[in-house]
Amino acid sequence: MAESLSTAPSIRLRESGCLTAYGDATATWQGLLSGRSALRLSAVQGPDKPDLVPLALRSDDALFETIPPRWHRALPVAFASLRGQGWGTPRRPVVVTSSNFGVGSLHGYARSKDPGHLPYGVPFDSVHALRTAMEWGPSVTIFSHACITAHLGLLHGTRLLQAGVADDVLVFSFDFLSPFVAGGFYALKILNADFPTPYQEREIGSIGLGDGAAYAVLSRTAGDYRIEAQSIYNEMFHATSNQPDGSGFATCLREVANQLRGRRVWLKGHGTGTLEAGRLESAAFAEAFPSAPLVGWKGGIGHTLGSCGLVELAITLEALKARKIPGTVGSSRPTMQSTVALEPFDASGFDAVVCASNAFGGAHAAFLLSHV
Amino acid sequence: MFDRHITVSRTDDPGLELPAATRDRLKSRFPLGAARRMTQLGMIVGALIEELAPTGEDALIYASSYGETRAIEEYLASFPDASPTLFQTSIHPSAVQQGAISRKRSLREFFPLAGAPAELIAPALSVAMTNPAPRVLLVGGEERGTWLRELGLASERTYAFALALDRAPASENASTVLGSLTLSPSSAEEPGALSFSQWFDLLHQRKPWTGEIGSGWRLELRWST
Repeated sequence: MAESLSTAPSIRLRESGCLTAYGDATATWQGLLSGRSALRLSAVQGPDKPDLVPLALRSDDALFETIPPRWHRALPVAFASLRGQGWGTPRRPVVVTSSNFGVGSLHGYARSKDPGHLPYGVPFDSVHALRTAMEWGPSVTIFSHACITAHLGLLHGTRLLQAGVADDVLVFSFDFLSPFVAGGFYALKILNADFPTPYQEREIGSIGLGDGAAYAVLSRTAGDYRIEAQSIYNEMFHATSNQPDGSGFATCLREVANQLRGRRVWLKGHGTGTLEAGRLESAAFAEAFPSAPLVGWKGGIGHTLGSCGLVELAITLEALKARKIPGTVGSSRPTMQSTVALEPFDASGFDAVVCASNAFGGAHAAFLLSHV
Repeated sequence: MFDRHITVSRTDDPGLELPAATRDRLKSRFPLGAARRMTQLGMIVGALIEELAPTGEDALIYASSYGETRAIEEYLASFPDASPTLFQTSIHPSAVQQGAISRKRSLREFFPLAGAPAELIAPALSVAMTNPAPRVLLVGGEERGTWLRELGLASERTYAFALALDRAPASENASTVLGSLTLSPSSAEEPGALSFSQWFDLLHQRKPWTGEIGSGWRLELRWST
Protein backbone atom coordinates (compact mmCIF):
# COMPACT_ATOMS: atom_id res chain seq x y z
CA MET A 1 0.00 0.00 0.00
CA ALA A 2 1.24 3.48 -0.82
CA GLU A 3 2.51 5.63 1.98
CA SER A 4 -0.27 7.99 2.94
CA LEU A 5 0.06 11.26 4.71
CA SER A 6 -1.28 9.67 7.84
CA THR A 7 2.05 7.94 8.23
CA ALA A 8 4.05 11.09 7.55
CA PRO A 9 4.98 13.80 10.06
CA SER A 10 2.33 16.35 10.95
CA ILE A 11 2.40 19.98 9.89
CA ARG A 12 1.62 23.18 11.76
CA LEU A 13 -1.29 25.49 11.06
CA ARG A 14 0.13 28.97 11.66
CA GLU A 15 -3.02 30.96 10.98
CA SER A 16 -6.29 30.84 9.12
CA GLY A 17 -9.27 32.99 8.32
CA CYS A 18 -12.46 32.96 6.35
CA LEU A 19 -15.17 35.07 4.80
CA THR A 20 -18.79 33.90 4.76
CA ALA A 21 -22.19 35.52 4.62
CA TYR A 22 -21.82 36.18 8.36
CA GLY A 23 -18.50 38.01 7.94
CA ASP A 24 -15.00 36.98 9.03
CA ALA A 25 -14.09 33.87 11.02
CA THR A 26 -15.02 35.39 14.36
CA ALA A 27 -18.35 36.69 13.09
CA THR A 28 -19.06 33.34 11.46
CA TRP A 29 -18.29 31.44 14.65
CA GLN A 30 -20.49 33.83 16.64
CA GLY A 31 -23.30 33.53 14.11
CA LEU A 32 -23.22 29.75 14.24
CA LEU A 33 -22.97 29.79 18.02
CA SER A 34 -26.15 31.88 18.19
CA GLY A 35 -27.95 29.29 16.11
CA ARG A 36 -28.85 31.91 13.52
CA SER A 37 -28.67 30.84 9.89
CA ALA A 38 -27.24 33.15 7.23
CA LEU A 39 -29.32 31.41 4.56
CA ARG A 40 -32.09 33.44 2.95
CA LEU A 41 -34.56 32.50 0.25
CA SER A 42 -33.25 34.01 -2.98
CA ALA A 43 -34.03 33.67 -6.68
CA VAL A 44 -32.02 30.71 -7.92
CA GLN A 45 -30.85 32.33 -11.13
CA GLY A 46 -31.35 35.96 -10.28
CA PRO A 47 -33.83 37.74 -12.52
CA ASP A 48 -33.95 34.85 -15.00
CA LYS A 49 -35.63 32.32 -12.72
CA PRO A 50 -37.58 33.53 -9.69
CA ASP A 51 -37.80 30.15 -7.93
CA LEU A 52 -36.63 30.67 -4.36
CA VAL A 53 -33.84 28.61 -2.77
CA PRO A 54 -31.74 29.07 0.39
CA LEU A 55 -28.56 30.99 -0.35
CA ALA A 56 -26.10 32.66 2.02
CA LEU A 57 -24.72 35.55 0.00
CA ARG A 58 -22.05 38.01 1.03
CA SER A 59 -24.17 40.96 -0.02
CA ASP A 60 -27.74 41.73 -0.86
CA ASP A 61 -26.96 41.45 -4.56
CA ALA A 62 -29.15 39.02 -6.38
CA LEU A 63 -27.32 36.22 -8.15
CA PHE A 64 -26.35 38.42 -11.03
CA GLU A 65 -22.86 38.51 -12.46
CA THR A 66 -21.16 41.87 -12.23
CA ILE A 67 -18.02 43.29 -13.84
CA PRO A 68 -15.73 42.82 -12.01
CA PRO A 69 -17.23 39.82 -10.21
CA ARG A 70 -18.33 40.05 -6.56
CA TRP A 71 -15.42 37.86 -5.39
CA HIS A 72 -12.87 40.06 -7.13
CA ARG A 73 -14.11 43.11 -5.26
CA ALA A 74 -14.43 41.37 -1.90
CA LEU A 75 -11.32 39.22 -1.53
CA PRO A 76 -8.48 41.80 -1.66
CA VAL A 77 -10.30 43.81 1.01
CA ALA A 78 -11.21 40.91 3.27
CA PHE A 79 -7.76 39.32 3.04
CA ALA A 80 -5.62 42.44 2.85
CA SER A 81 -3.15 40.91 5.32
CA LEU A 82 -2.21 38.34 2.66
CA ARG A 83 -1.27 40.88 -0.02
CA GLY A 84 2.32 40.70 -1.19
CA GLN A 85 4.65 39.47 1.57
CA GLY A 86 6.52 37.22 -0.81
CA TRP A 87 3.58 34.92 -1.38
CA GLY A 88 3.77 33.20 -4.75
CA THR A 89 7.54 32.91 -4.69
CA PRO A 90 9.26 29.50 -4.76
CA ARG A 91 9.88 29.38 -0.99
CA ARG A 92 6.44 30.80 -0.18
CA PRO A 93 4.15 29.20 -2.76
CA VAL A 94 0.40 29.65 -2.94
CA VAL A 95 -2.09 26.84 -3.51
CA VAL A 96 -5.48 28.07 -4.76
CA THR A 97 -8.41 25.71 -4.36
CA SER A 98 -11.94 26.15 -5.65
CA SER A 99 -14.67 24.35 -7.51
CA ASN A 100 -16.18 27.41 -9.17
CA PHE A 101 -13.42 29.97 -9.60
CA GLY A 102 -14.94 32.63 -11.85
CA VAL A 103 -17.17 30.36 -13.91
CA GLY A 104 -20.17 32.55 -13.15
CA SER A 105 -18.62 35.11 -15.48
CA LEU A 106 -19.07 32.69 -18.37
CA HIS A 107 -22.77 32.65 -17.56
CA GLY A 108 -22.64 36.42 -17.40
CA TYR A 109 -21.12 36.55 -20.88
CA ALA A 110 -23.48 33.93 -22.32
CA ARG A 111 -26.42 35.94 -21.01
CA SER A 112 -25.29 39.47 -21.91
CA LYS A 113 -22.52 39.05 -24.50
CA ASP A 114 -20.61 41.72 -22.58
CA PRO A 115 -16.90 40.92 -23.12
CA GLY A 116 -16.10 42.51 -19.77
CA HIS A 117 -17.01 39.17 -18.17
CA LEU A 118 -14.46 37.18 -20.15
CA PRO A 119 -11.24 37.90 -18.20
CA TYR A 120 -12.66 36.04 -15.20
CA GLY A 121 -14.40 33.02 -16.70
CA VAL A 122 -11.69 30.36 -17.01
CA PRO A 123 -10.23 29.05 -13.72
CA PHE A 124 -6.66 30.14 -14.43
CA ASP A 125 -7.81 33.57 -15.60
CA SER A 126 -9.76 34.09 -12.39
CA VAL A 127 -6.73 33.05 -10.35
CA HIS A 128 -4.54 35.39 -12.40
CA ALA A 129 -6.93 38.25 -11.62
CA LEU A 130 -6.84 37.30 -7.94
CA ARG A 131 -3.06 36.93 -7.99
CA THR A 132 -2.64 40.38 -9.49
CA ALA A 133 -4.99 41.96 -6.96
CA MET A 134 -3.22 40.17 -4.09
CA GLU A 135 0.27 41.00 -5.43
CA TRP A 136 1.32 37.35 -5.42
CA GLY A 137 4.14 35.93 -7.55
CA PRO A 138 3.68 33.15 -10.13
CA SER A 139 4.41 30.16 -7.85
CA VAL A 140 0.77 29.19 -7.68
CA THR A 141 -0.74 25.70 -7.89
CA ILE A 142 -4.44 25.43 -8.72
CA PHE A 143 -6.56 22.44 -7.66
CA SER A 144 -10.16 21.76 -8.59
CA HIS A 145 -11.79 18.64 -7.17
CA ALA A 146 -15.33 19.76 -6.34
CA CYS A 147 -16.06 19.93 -2.62
CA ILE A 148 -12.89 18.27 -1.29
CA THR A 149 -10.62 20.65 -3.21
CA ALA A 150 -9.43 22.56 -0.16
CA HIS A 151 -8.22 19.32 1.44
CA LEU A 152 -6.00 18.69 -1.59
CA GLY A 153 -4.44 22.10 -1.09
CA LEU A 154 -3.66 21.32 2.55
CA LEU A 155 -2.20 17.94 1.64
CA HIS A 156 -0.02 19.23 -1.18
CA GLY A 157 1.12 22.17 0.94
CA THR A 158 2.10 19.73 3.65
CA ARG A 159 4.17 17.73 1.18
CA LEU A 160 6.00 20.80 -0.11
CA LEU A 161 6.95 21.67 3.45
CA GLN A 162 7.94 18.15 4.37
CA ALA A 163 10.08 17.90 1.25
CA GLY A 164 11.88 21.04 2.35
CA VAL A 165 11.16 22.93 -0.87
CA ALA A 166 9.05 25.61 0.82
CA ASP A 167 9.30 27.60 4.06
CA ASP A 168 5.61 28.45 4.35
CA VAL A 169 2.63 27.59 2.16
CA LEU A 170 -0.49 29.70 1.73
CA VAL A 171 -3.59 27.67 0.86
CA PHE A 172 -6.32 29.99 -0.38
CA SER A 173 -9.83 29.11 -1.48
CA PHE A 174 -12.80 31.01 -2.85
CA ASP A 175 -16.24 30.02 -4.13
CA PHE A 176 -18.81 32.72 -4.69
CA LEU A 177 -22.21 31.70 -5.94
CA SER A 178 -23.54 32.36 -9.41
CA PRO A 179 -26.49 31.27 -11.56
CA PHE A 180 -24.10 28.74 -13.14
CA VAL A 181 -23.72 26.74 -9.94
CA ALA A 182 -27.04 27.49 -8.25
CA GLY A 183 -28.87 26.59 -11.46
CA GLY A 184 -26.98 23.31 -11.62
CA PHE A 185 -27.77 22.21 -8.09
CA TYR A 186 -31.38 23.31 -8.58
CA ALA A 187 -31.55 21.18 -11.73
CA LEU A 188 -30.26 18.23 -9.71
CA LYS A 189 -33.16 18.93 -7.31
CA ILE A 190 -30.97 18.86 -4.20
CA LEU A 191 -31.23 22.64 -3.98
CA ASN A 192 -34.92 23.38 -3.52
CA ALA A 193 -37.22 25.63 -1.52
CA ASP A 194 -36.47 23.88 1.79
CA PHE A 195 -33.73 24.92 4.18
CA PRO A 196 -31.04 22.33 4.89
CA THR A 197 -31.23 20.34 8.12
CA PRO A 198 -27.94 18.39 8.22
CA TYR A 199 -28.10 14.92 9.79
CA GLN A 200 -31.83 15.28 10.56
CA GLU A 201 -34.17 12.48 9.56
CA ARG A 202 -36.93 13.82 7.34
CA GLU A 203 -38.66 12.92 4.10
CA ILE A 204 -36.95 15.19 1.59
CA GLY A 205 -33.35 16.33 1.72
CA SER A 206 -32.16 19.75 0.67
CA ILE A 207 -29.04 21.82 0.68
CA GLY A 208 -28.30 25.52 0.90
CA LEU A 209 -25.42 27.19 -0.87
CA GLY A 210 -23.17 29.93 0.48
CA ASP A 211 -20.47 32.33 -0.60
CA GLY A 212 -17.20 31.38 1.00
CA ALA A 213 -13.50 32.11 0.97
CA ALA A 214 -10.76 31.12 3.36
CA TYR A 215 -7.05 30.66 3.84
CA ALA A 216 -4.61 28.67 5.91
CA VAL A 217 -0.90 29.30 6.36
CA LEU A 218 1.05 26.08 6.84
CA SER A 219 4.46 25.90 8.42
CA ARG A 220 6.88 23.18 9.49
CA THR A 221 7.48 24.62 12.94
CA ALA A 222 5.38 27.73 13.65
CA GLY A 223 1.80 27.60 14.86
CA ASP A 224 -0.17 26.38 17.84
CA TYR A 225 -2.19 23.77 15.96
CA ARG A 226 -1.21 20.61 14.17
CA ILE A 227 -2.78 19.03 11.09
CA GLU A 228 -2.18 15.30 10.80
CA ALA A 229 -3.61 12.07 9.45
CA GLN A 230 -4.72 13.67 6.18
CA SER A 231 -6.73 11.06 4.33
CA ILE A 232 -8.27 11.01 0.87
CA TYR A 233 -10.31 8.36 -0.90
CA ASN A 234 -12.11 8.43 -4.26
CA GLU A 235 -14.62 5.63 -4.57
CA MET A 236 -15.58 6.37 -8.21
CA PHE A 237 -18.90 4.61 -7.78
CA HIS A 238 -21.28 7.15 -9.29
CA ALA A 239 -21.07 10.76 -10.45
CA THR A 240 -23.37 12.09 -7.73
CA SER A 241 -23.91 9.30 -5.21
CA ASN A 242 -21.91 7.00 -2.95
CA GLN A 243 -21.46 3.27 -2.45
CA PRO A 244 -24.72 2.30 -0.71
CA ASP A 245 -22.83 0.44 2.03
CA GLY A 246 -20.94 3.58 3.04
CA SER A 247 -17.58 1.94 2.46
CA GLY A 248 -16.17 5.07 0.81
CA PHE A 249 -16.76 7.14 3.94
CA ALA A 250 -15.46 4.32 6.14
CA THR A 251 -12.26 3.85 4.13
CA CYS A 252 -11.38 7.52 4.39
CA LEU A 253 -12.19 7.85 8.10
CA ARG A 254 -10.39 4.64 9.04
CA GLU A 255 -7.05 6.27 8.16
CA VAL A 256 -7.79 9.06 10.61
CA ALA A 257 -9.15 6.79 13.34
CA ASN A 258 -5.99 4.72 13.18
CA GLN A 259 -4.00 7.80 14.18
CA LEU A 260 -6.04 8.76 17.25
CA ARG A 261 -3.87 6.98 19.81
CA GLY A 262 -6.48 7.31 22.54
CA ARG A 263 -7.25 10.96 22.00
CA ARG A 264 -10.82 12.16 22.56
CA VAL A 265 -12.26 13.86 19.51
CA TRP A 266 -15.28 15.75 18.30
CA LEU A 267 -16.28 15.64 14.65
CA LYS A 268 -16.83 18.42 12.14
CA GLY A 269 -18.70 16.66 9.37
CA HIS A 270 -19.60 17.61 5.82
CA GLY A 271 -23.37 17.48 6.38
CA THR A 272 -24.89 19.31 3.42
CA GLY A 273 -28.47 18.29 4.19
CA THR A 274 -28.91 15.55 1.61
CA LEU A 275 -30.41 12.44 3.16
CA GLU A 276 -28.50 9.52 1.68
CA ALA A 277 -25.05 11.06 2.08
CA GLY A 278 -25.95 12.34 5.55
CA ARG A 279 -26.98 8.89 6.72
CA LEU A 280 -23.89 7.22 5.29
CA GLU A 281 -21.54 9.87 6.63
CA SER A 282 -23.01 9.99 10.12
CA ALA A 283 -23.06 6.18 10.34
CA ALA A 284 -19.42 5.97 9.25
CA PHE A 285 -18.48 8.58 11.85
CA ALA A 286 -20.36 6.68 14.57
CA GLU A 287 -18.58 3.47 13.60
CA ALA A 288 -15.09 4.97 13.43
CA PHE A 289 -15.43 7.33 16.41
CA PRO A 290 -18.07 5.86 18.76
CA SER A 291 -19.83 8.43 20.96
CA ALA A 292 -17.87 11.39 19.55
CA PRO A 293 -20.19 14.38 19.02
CA LEU A 294 -20.82 15.28 15.38
CA VAL A 295 -21.63 18.76 14.10
CA GLY A 296 -22.30 20.20 10.65
CA TRP A 297 -22.44 23.91 9.93
CA LYS A 298 -23.85 24.14 6.43
CA GLY A 299 -27.31 24.83 7.83
CA GLY A 300 -25.85 28.17 8.89
CA ILE A 301 -23.26 29.18 6.32
CA GLY A 302 -24.60 27.13 3.41
CA HIS A 303 -22.41 24.81 1.39
CA THR A 304 -19.38 26.80 0.29
CA LEU A 305 -18.48 24.07 -2.22
CA GLY A 306 -14.80 23.67 -3.09
CA SER A 307 -13.91 26.06 -0.29
CA CYS A 308 -15.90 24.33 2.44
CA GLY A 309 -12.93 22.39 3.84
CA LEU A 310 -10.92 25.56 4.38
CA VAL A 311 -13.85 27.75 5.48
CA GLU A 312 -14.87 25.21 8.09
CA LEU A 313 -11.25 24.76 9.19
CA ALA A 314 -11.09 28.49 9.96
CA ILE A 315 -14.33 28.26 11.94
CA THR A 316 -13.02 25.20 13.76
CA LEU A 317 -9.87 27.06 14.74
CA GLU A 318 -11.95 29.95 16.02
CA ALA A 319 -14.05 27.50 18.05
CA LEU A 320 -10.98 25.80 19.49
CA LYS A 321 -9.48 29.12 20.56
CA ALA A 322 -12.72 30.12 22.27
CA ARG A 323 -13.28 26.56 23.54
CA LYS A 324 -16.92 26.67 22.43
CA ILE A 325 -18.13 24.53 19.53
CA PRO A 326 -21.22 25.62 17.54
CA GLY A 327 -23.92 22.99 17.16
CA THR A 328 -25.63 21.76 14.01
CA VAL A 329 -27.49 24.90 13.04
CA GLY A 330 -30.92 24.43 11.46
CA SER A 331 -31.43 20.80 12.50
CA SER A 332 -33.65 19.22 15.13
CA ARG A 333 -34.58 15.74 16.37
CA PRO A 334 -34.86 13.06 15.17
CA THR A 335 -31.29 12.92 13.98
CA MET A 336 -29.61 10.22 11.93
CA GLN A 337 -27.34 9.29 14.83
CA SER A 338 -27.73 10.01 18.52
CA THR A 339 -24.27 11.56 18.51
CA VAL A 340 -25.33 14.53 16.35
CA ALA A 341 -24.84 17.63 18.49
CA LEU A 342 -27.57 20.18 17.86
CA GLU A 343 -26.52 22.68 20.52
CA PRO A 344 -23.15 24.32 21.19
CA PHE A 345 -20.85 22.47 23.56
CA ASP A 346 -17.65 23.07 25.47
CA ALA A 347 -14.37 22.04 23.88
CA SER A 348 -12.96 21.04 27.25
CA GLY A 349 -12.55 17.31 27.46
CA PHE A 350 -11.52 16.92 23.84
CA ASP A 351 -7.99 16.59 22.53
CA ALA A 352 -8.61 16.95 18.79
CA VAL A 353 -11.20 17.39 16.06
CA VAL A 354 -11.73 15.39 12.89
CA CYS A 355 -12.58 17.64 9.93
CA ALA A 356 -14.17 15.94 6.93
CA SER A 357 -15.51 16.87 3.49
CA ASN A 358 -17.08 14.89 0.67
CA ALA A 359 -17.68 15.56 -3.00
CA PHE A 360 -19.20 14.46 -6.29
CA GLY A 361 -17.69 11.27 -7.62
CA GLY A 362 -17.67 9.70 -4.16
CA ALA A 363 -14.62 11.70 -3.11
CA HIS A 364 -13.86 11.80 0.60
CA ALA A 365 -11.28 13.71 2.64
CA ALA A 366 -10.54 14.12 6.33
CA PHE A 367 -7.80 15.16 8.73
CA LEU A 368 -7.13 15.53 12.41
CA LEU A 369 -6.59 18.97 13.97
CA SER A 370 -5.22 19.38 17.47
CA HIS A 371 -3.42 21.85 19.70
CA VAL A 372 0.33 21.31 19.71
CA MET B 1 15.80 16.85 -6.25
CA PHE B 2 13.05 14.39 -7.18
CA ASP B 3 13.53 11.49 -9.60
CA ARG B 4 11.03 9.14 -11.19
CA HIS B 5 11.32 6.52 -13.92
CA ILE B 6 8.89 6.62 -16.82
CA THR B 7 7.63 3.06 -17.16
CA VAL B 8 4.62 3.66 -19.40
CA SER B 9 4.05 6.57 -21.78
CA ARG B 10 0.94 6.96 -23.90
CA THR B 11 -0.29 9.86 -25.99
CA ASP B 12 -3.27 10.57 -28.21
CA ASP B 13 -3.14 13.43 -30.70
CA PRO B 14 -6.47 13.63 -32.52
CA GLY B 15 -6.03 17.34 -33.15
CA LEU B 16 -9.18 18.62 -34.84
CA GLU B 17 -11.09 15.33 -34.61
CA LEU B 18 -14.78 15.84 -33.85
CA PRO B 19 -16.28 14.23 -30.73
CA ALA B 20 -18.43 11.82 -32.77
CA ALA B 21 -15.35 10.49 -34.55
CA THR B 22 -13.54 10.11 -31.24
CA ARG B 23 -16.51 8.17 -29.91
CA ASP B 24 -16.44 5.79 -32.88
CA ARG B 25 -12.69 5.33 -32.49
CA LEU B 26 -12.63 4.70 -28.75
CA LYS B 27 -16.03 3.31 -27.71
CA SER B 28 -14.75 -0.27 -27.67
CA ARG B 29 -12.29 0.74 -24.94
CA PHE B 30 -15.07 1.33 -22.41
CA PRO B 31 -17.82 -0.81 -20.89
CA LEU B 32 -20.76 -1.31 -23.22
CA GLY B 33 -22.77 1.86 -23.64
CA ALA B 34 -20.50 4.00 -21.46
CA ALA B 35 -18.96 6.07 -24.27
CA ARG B 36 -22.41 7.26 -25.33
CA ARG B 37 -22.50 9.52 -22.27
CA MET B 38 -18.83 10.53 -22.27
CA THR B 39 -17.22 13.74 -23.43
CA GLN B 40 -14.40 13.84 -25.94
CA LEU B 41 -11.89 14.69 -23.22
CA GLY B 42 -13.32 11.95 -21.02
CA MET B 43 -12.86 9.40 -23.78
CA ILE B 44 -9.28 10.22 -24.73
CA VAL B 45 -8.14 10.61 -21.13
CA GLY B 46 -10.04 7.53 -19.97
CA ALA B 47 -8.67 5.35 -22.75
CA LEU B 48 -5.08 6.36 -21.98
CA ILE B 49 -5.45 5.85 -18.24
CA GLU B 50 -6.64 2.31 -18.85
CA GLU B 51 -3.42 1.59 -20.75
CA LEU B 52 -1.52 2.36 -17.54
CA ALA B 53 -3.35 -0.52 -15.78
CA PRO B 54 -4.09 1.63 -12.72
CA THR B 55 -4.44 0.16 -9.25
CA GLY B 56 -6.28 1.67 -6.31
CA GLU B 57 -3.04 2.60 -4.60
CA ASP B 58 -1.59 4.58 -7.50
CA ALA B 59 -1.77 8.33 -7.09
CA LEU B 60 -3.38 10.01 -10.09
CA ILE B 61 -2.34 13.55 -10.96
CA TYR B 62 -4.52 15.08 -13.66
CA ALA B 63 -3.88 18.41 -15.37
CA SER B 64 -6.04 20.38 -17.77
CA SER B 65 -6.15 24.12 -18.38
CA TYR B 66 -9.67 24.24 -19.76
CA GLY B 67 -11.25 20.97 -18.63
CA GLU B 68 -14.69 20.07 -19.92
CA THR B 69 -15.00 22.83 -22.48
CA ARG B 70 -17.80 21.42 -24.58
CA ALA B 71 -19.88 20.39 -21.58
CA ILE B 72 -19.54 23.93 -20.24
CA GLU B 73 -20.56 25.38 -23.60
CA GLU B 74 -23.61 23.13 -23.83
CA TYR B 75 -24.52 23.61 -20.18
CA LEU B 76 -24.56 27.38 -20.64
CA ALA B 77 -26.72 26.95 -23.72
CA SER B 78 -29.26 25.01 -21.64
CA PHE B 79 -30.15 28.05 -19.49
CA PRO B 80 -32.54 29.20 -18.18
CA ASP B 81 -33.61 25.56 -17.70
CA ALA B 82 -30.19 24.25 -16.70
CA SER B 83 -29.37 20.67 -17.62
CA PRO B 84 -28.51 18.53 -14.56
CA THR B 85 -26.47 16.08 -16.65
CA LEU B 86 -24.42 18.78 -18.33
CA PHE B 87 -23.88 20.50 -14.98
CA GLN B 88 -22.32 17.44 -13.40
CA THR B 89 -20.35 16.66 -16.57
CA SER B 90 -18.98 20.20 -16.70
CA ILE B 91 -17.39 19.98 -13.26
CA HIS B 92 -13.65 19.47 -13.17
CA PRO B 93 -12.34 16.68 -13.03
CA SER B 94 -15.22 14.96 -14.78
CA ALA B 95 -13.01 13.72 -17.64
CA VAL B 96 -11.19 11.29 -15.35
CA GLN B 97 -14.28 10.42 -13.34
CA GLN B 98 -16.30 9.42 -16.42
CA GLY B 99 -13.94 6.58 -17.26
CA ALA B 100 -13.15 5.58 -13.69
CA ILE B 101 -16.82 5.45 -12.70
CA SER B 102 -17.72 3.38 -15.77
CA ARG B 103 -15.19 0.82 -14.53
CA LYS B 104 -15.90 1.35 -10.81
CA ARG B 105 -12.19 1.92 -10.35
CA SER B 106 -11.46 3.53 -6.96
CA LEU B 107 -8.41 5.66 -6.28
CA ARG B 108 -6.75 6.57 -3.03
CA GLU B 109 -5.25 9.90 -4.08
CA PHE B 110 -6.47 11.96 -7.01
CA PHE B 111 -5.14 15.48 -7.56
CA PRO B 112 -6.86 17.39 -10.39
CA LEU B 113 -5.09 20.59 -11.38
CA ALA B 114 -6.01 23.57 -13.49
CA GLY B 115 -3.64 26.30 -14.61
CA ALA B 116 -2.72 28.53 -17.51
CA PRO B 117 -1.26 26.65 -20.49
CA ALA B 118 2.07 28.41 -20.01
CA GLU B 119 2.18 27.67 -16.28
CA LEU B 120 0.52 24.29 -15.76
CA ILE B 121 3.28 21.77 -16.19
CA ALA B 122 5.47 23.02 -13.31
CA PRO B 123 2.83 22.62 -10.59
CA ALA B 124 1.59 19.36 -12.12
CA LEU B 125 5.08 17.90 -11.97
CA SER B 126 5.68 19.21 -8.47
CA VAL B 127 2.49 17.51 -7.27
CA ALA B 128 3.46 14.28 -9.02
CA MET B 129 7.09 14.22 -7.93
CA THR B 130 6.45 15.05 -4.25
CA ASN B 131 3.74 12.40 -3.93
CA PRO B 132 4.92 9.47 -1.78
CA ALA B 133 3.06 6.74 -3.71
CA PRO B 134 5.36 4.11 -5.27
CA ARG B 135 3.64 4.67 -8.59
CA VAL B 136 2.24 7.99 -9.75
CA LEU B 137 0.11 8.38 -12.86
CA LEU B 138 0.54 11.78 -14.50
CA VAL B 139 -2.26 12.44 -16.93
CA GLY B 140 -3.43 15.49 -18.83
CA GLY B 141 -5.23 16.75 -21.84
CA GLU B 142 -7.48 19.24 -23.55
CA GLU B 143 -10.43 19.11 -25.89
CA ARG B 144 -10.95 21.56 -28.75
CA GLY B 145 -13.73 23.98 -27.95
CA THR B 146 -16.22 25.75 -30.18
CA TRP B 147 -17.49 29.22 -29.22
CA LEU B 148 -15.26 29.41 -26.15
CA ARG B 149 -12.29 28.66 -28.42
CA GLU B 150 -13.25 31.52 -30.70
CA LEU B 151 -13.12 33.77 -27.63
CA GLY B 152 -9.67 32.46 -26.70
CA LEU B 153 -11.07 30.56 -23.70
CA ALA B 154 -10.56 26.98 -24.88
CA SER B 155 -7.94 24.78 -26.48
CA GLU B 156 -7.29 24.91 -30.23
CA ARG B 157 -6.57 21.20 -30.35
CA THR B 158 -7.55 17.96 -28.70
CA TYR B 159 -4.79 15.89 -27.11
CA ALA B 160 -4.00 13.81 -24.06
CA PHE B 161 -1.07 12.07 -22.41
CA ALA B 162 -0.63 9.51 -19.65
CA LEU B 163 2.59 8.56 -17.88
CA ALA B 164 3.29 5.94 -15.25
CA LEU B 165 6.08 7.18 -13.00
CA ASP B 166 7.82 4.69 -10.72
CA ARG B 167 10.31 5.38 -7.98
CA ALA B 168 12.66 2.47 -8.54
CA PRO B 169 11.65 -0.38 -10.82
CA ALA B 170 13.00 -3.74 -9.76
CA SER B 171 16.14 -4.71 -11.65
CA GLU B 172 14.33 -7.50 -13.48
CA ASN B 173 12.02 -4.81 -14.88
CA ALA B 174 14.79 -2.47 -15.97
CA SER B 175 13.95 -3.11 -19.59
CA THR B 176 10.56 -1.48 -19.01
CA VAL B 177 12.09 1.88 -18.15
CA LEU B 178 11.38 4.22 -21.03
CA GLY B 179 12.97 7.31 -19.57
CA SER B 180 13.18 9.43 -16.48
CA LEU B 181 12.20 12.75 -14.96
CA THR B 182 14.27 14.84 -12.60
CA LEU B 183 12.67 17.85 -10.96
CA SER B 184 14.92 20.23 -9.05
CA PRO B 185 14.14 23.39 -7.08
CA SER B 186 15.32 26.50 -8.87
CA SER B 187 15.59 30.13 -7.93
CA ALA B 188 13.89 31.19 -11.16
CA GLU B 189 10.50 32.64 -10.32
CA GLU B 190 9.16 33.58 -13.71
CA PRO B 191 7.11 31.26 -15.91
CA GLY B 192 9.27 28.80 -17.79
CA ALA B 193 9.66 28.02 -21.44
CA LEU B 194 7.56 24.87 -21.54
CA SER B 195 3.86 25.20 -22.24
CA PHE B 196 1.35 22.44 -21.65
CA SER B 197 1.00 21.62 -25.35
CA GLN B 198 4.79 21.71 -25.79
CA TRP B 199 5.11 19.23 -22.94
CA PHE B 200 2.61 17.01 -24.73
CA ASP B 201 4.61 17.27 -27.96
CA LEU B 202 7.79 16.23 -26.12
CA LEU B 203 6.05 13.13 -24.84
CA HIS B 204 4.39 12.38 -28.16
CA GLN B 205 7.68 12.60 -30.03
CA ARG B 206 9.75 11.23 -27.13
CA LYS B 207 12.15 14.13 -27.23
CA PRO B 208 14.42 15.02 -24.30
CA TRP B 209 14.26 18.42 -22.64
CA THR B 210 16.16 20.30 -19.94
CA GLY B 211 15.43 23.72 -18.55
CA GLU B 212 13.46 25.99 -16.26
CA ILE B 213 9.74 25.28 -16.22
CA GLY B 214 8.70 28.10 -13.89
CA SER B 215 7.40 28.45 -10.34
CA GLY B 216 10.87 27.66 -9.02
CA TRP B 217 11.38 24.33 -10.75
CA ARG B 218 13.87 22.94 -13.26
CA LEU B 219 13.11 19.81 -15.28
CA GLU B 220 15.23 17.19 -16.97
CA LEU B 221 13.31 14.79 -19.22
CA ARG B 222 15.35 11.88 -20.60
CA TRP B 223 14.37 8.99 -22.85
CA SER B 224 16.26 5.71 -22.85
CA THR B 225 14.80 4.38 -26.09
